[in-house]
Amino acid sequence: MAISESASREPQTSQQTSQQWLENEPAVEVVGITKRYGQVAACDSVDLVLRRGQIHGVLGENGAGKSTLMKVLIGLVVPDAGQVIIDGRPSVITDPIDAAAKGIGMVHQHFSVVNALTVWENVALGDQDRLNPQAVRNEIGDLSRHYGLDIEPNAIVGTLTAGLRQRVEIIKCLRRSPRTVILDEPTSVLTPGESEALFEGLRRAVEDEGMAIALVSHKLDEILGATDLVTIMRRGQVVANLPTSQSDAPGLARAMVGRPVSLRSERMLADRPLADRPTQAERAGSKSGLPKPVQKTASLEIRSVYAQGDDGRSLLNGLSLAVNRGEIVGLAGVEGNGQRPLGDLLSSLLPVSQGEVRVDGHPIVCGKAGAMARARISVIPEDRHDSGCVLEMSVAENLFLADPTLVSRRGVVDRRKMMDRAQGLIDRFAISCEGPTAPMWSLSGGNQQRVILAREMAHAPRVLVAAQPTRGLDVGAIEYMSSQLRQAAEEGVAVLLISTELEEILDLASRLIVLSEGRIVGGMDRDQVDIEQLGLMMGGAGT
Amino acid sequence: MTDVVASDPIDALPKEVSAAARGRHLVFGEIVSLYALSIAGALLLSGLLVYLTGGSARAVLGALLDGSILRPGRWGLTLGSAAPMLLVALGTIINSRAGLVNIGQEGQLLLGAAFATYVGVRLGGENIGQVAGFGVLVALLLAGGAGGAMWAAVAGALRFKRGVPEVLSTLLMVTIASNAVGYGLKKDWLLLAPAGDRSNRNQVSEQLAETVRVKRVTVFGNEFPITVFLAIGLAVVVAFALARTVPGFRLRMLGQNAKTAQRAGVDSARYGMAAMLLSGGFAGLAGAVMLAGGDFGNYQLVPGFSVSIGWTGLLVALVAREKASAAILVSFLFAGLRTGSGFLAATGVERKITGVVQALLVLALLIPPAFLYIRERRRALNASKERI
Ligand SMILES: Nc1ncnc2c1ncn2[C@@H]1O[C@H](COP(=O)(O)OP(=O)(O)OP(=O)(O)O)[C@@H](O)[C@H]1O
Ligand SMILES: [Mg+2]
Repeated sequence: MAISESASREPQTSQQTSQQWLENEPAVEVVGITKRYGQVAACDSVDLVLRRGQIHGVLGENGAGKSTLMKVLIGLVVPDAGQVIIDGRPSVITDPIDAAAKGIGMVHQHFSVVNALTVWENVALGDQDRLNPQAVRNEIGDLSRHYGLDIEPNAIVGTLTAGLRQRVEIIKCLRRSPRTVILDEPTSVLTPGESEALFEGLRRAVEDEGMAIALVSHKLDEILGATDLVTIMRRGQVVANLPTSQSDAPGLARAMVGRPVSLRSERMLADRPLADRPTQAERAGSKSGLPKPVQKTASLEIRSVYAQGDDGRSLLNGLSLAVNRGEIVGLAGVEGNGQRPLGDLLSSLLPVSQGEVRVDGHPIVCGKAGAMARARISVIPEDRHDSGCVLEMSVAENLFLADPTLVSRRGVVDRRKMMDRAQGLIDRFAISCEGPTAPMWSLSGGNQQRVILAREMAHAPRVLVAAQPTRGLDVGAIEYMSSQLRQAAEEGVAVLLISTELEEILDLASRLIVLSEGRIVGGMDRDQVDIEQLGLMMGGAGT
Repeated sequence: MTDVVASDPIDALPKEVSAAARGRHLVFGEIVSLYALSIAGALLLSGLLVYLTGGSARAVLGALLDGSILRPGRWGLTLGSAAPMLLVALGTIINSRAGLVNIGQEGQLLLGAAFATYVGVRLGGENIGQVAGFGVLVALLLAGGAGGAMWAAVAGALRFKRGVPEVLSTLLMVTIASNAVGYGLKKDWLLLAPAGDRSNRNQVSEQLAETVRVKRVTVFGNEFPITVFLAIGLAVVVAFALARTVPGFRLRMLGQNAKTAQRAGVDSARYGMAAMLLSGGFAGLAGAVMLAGGDFGNYQLVPGFSVSIGWTGLLVALVAREKASAAILVSFLFAGLRTGSGFLAATGVERKITGVVQALLVLALLIPPAFLYIRERRRALNASKERI
């Protein structure tokens, strides 16, 4: 049904709807929604109005109840109290199909695509009628052009970068021509350029078609740049509701966390001379005149590694890099140039055809279960559900996945010890959950990320690989994580920070290297950064 | 002013706690009655079926109860039948927790029984002593486990070396096992009993010597082999190992997220193979226990010896929802149907009816959890509708 209806949708719908909708007419209203899980009120009498022709930002700490609220609108969560009013009519949304019928679509915080299928197959998944592949592919083409979401319909989703997979999710949602779209942290896996393109497309949909959009995000500049209104949630309640034009980043952060936060963007803007920047730069000996580091051998050394995927594609293409004790090396590059394979390599998930990995001079077998973890390489993976945690297990179990021997005696897990230690980590990393025995799936996205952070940082690593570590974290948590990374480096850990956000790298790293097409194409010290040259390198122009 | 403020925080907490506690009781009672209702429904349907085929439902129920627990000596027999089912279920629980689907227990069990027969007959002569006999018994139980493990190992190797789905290979190997054992029962040098003074040589093995058999105990006039205790003990061990030991933790990790497990040091081939070996081993042990226990035939191997105990064990694991402790109860229930069906002949109802009853019971036990979930959601939805 969706196929025939929307095969020719694009030009017409925009004309039709532009006459039908009224400026700022409420599309979806939420009144007094409450949802409890045990003792926790995920949402506590929340009111929210999404209006046509507006992008509505929703901000809040990790676990504030944003996703829960959005899941109410899509019919995945049935509220304990309150009601939803759609186009002025009180309605009950029974499930996502019902929500789609009522014109509400959602892009979820975590991927729900099928990796083994192609892009168009994923998009067509759930269609009721006979499948017409060509029509679906054409539709994808139309949507891509209309919203600036370029994608190859025949690609296998599993081979795509996180950013492109996210695009598939967005196209899947938009294809049902929803009048209200909910985006739960859609840009956490997008590059700034991609995010910008997405927001341009959304803005057009909002202005031409009268769409109402709810945008959940932790990125303040994004909220400031893309939204018309902001609602801030804290502990399940709405604490502020204001037009975006009347707010600024520090104010939003304060309202969200309840205390002033030093924002990364502020630190970046603060006109401090570079020489005053983090001390690791000096430790790494990059500053002339200062003593060279005591430790000469690199903690982590990767020597001309080549690796292929199952389908024979080259993933790593002679990659070499070294990270010394106590320095933070930032790996910059356009996503899809080998970041994921590098993370996989250091997680023992990728065997190599050539080359080697050394930790403190000792070679480590690649692709052998647990070898990297035993060499005390900690990894915060870019996709937390893929190789970072076990959703069905408890928080405590997830905290001791890599080394259960820490909380066991002669092969038997000591429950008391496990719970005590887990509680300690929960407190230290401010993980909001019902307790150590809460199943991992019941945690909010950002709190799942904190569990992984806690596990990977707490057990004295030698090398810490952090791939997009701030993905899904709120501003307070980013601040904490940054300080933790710095502290780890100060304690002598070699930190490799893989990020597609240049800002993040510039803030934390003492040295930058650039990844392109599966190998390192160049590098520079933090205090000699030349943005233009960096851009050229990232584009593959080499040194 | 003090009224409202003071009473609120003090009273609210205990009230909420007690409400929660009340809720829990209610839910528990509800669950129990739901299961009872569901089982009653299955029995009612079964009764209807009996009635339609011209029998008396009441007589059938009476016969089933008589045959499984009420008549003298019958619950001992039921226990004896439950033991191998439980063993098979334990193995199944281990492999499904590791994320593997072994459904060839019937064949693994048969092969285990064959190995056990070979060892038991060859090592245990006619007049072997008590002590040596016990040694042979232990050896034959181990041989049974080894036989089942070996059969599962083939499927495991195919899975981890060649990527052949274990669900297919284990199933296909059931047929191969039954043919292989059939062949063995035709050859003197394998399993066939010496001709002796019999004129026609049936495909049967020699009997186990007296002293090589499992000791049987009598409790309140109910006789059963002591392997029942072995099975229950192993259930406790498996439950503990899966829940509380490091290897059990790692096995569950593998079953739930193989990538995370790989990073954490769980080699999927090694742990997966171990799970397959244990799973087949338990099935093989069940075969050996059937042979030496005395509740299945005459301490000798015959064609079709496994009598679907492997399949039933698989069902036990399914119904027990991968909980070793629950499998103890479920295996007794299913064994009761089996022993009870022995008394059906007098009612004039086809024995096979118990197969139908069993299937209905499986459904009846699987429905309540799904029902509870759906109803919970529906209630919440209706509540939202009322608020409009
Ligand atoms: N199914 C569930 N069972 C139990 N608790 C839950 C469940 N879903 C959510 N919660 C709890 O409700 C709270 C709100 O979660 P929610 O996912 O809505 O947060 P969020 O605002 O989206 O956070 P994040 O920014 O981290 O994604 C959390 O404390 C979470 O642990
Ligand atoms: Mg969320």
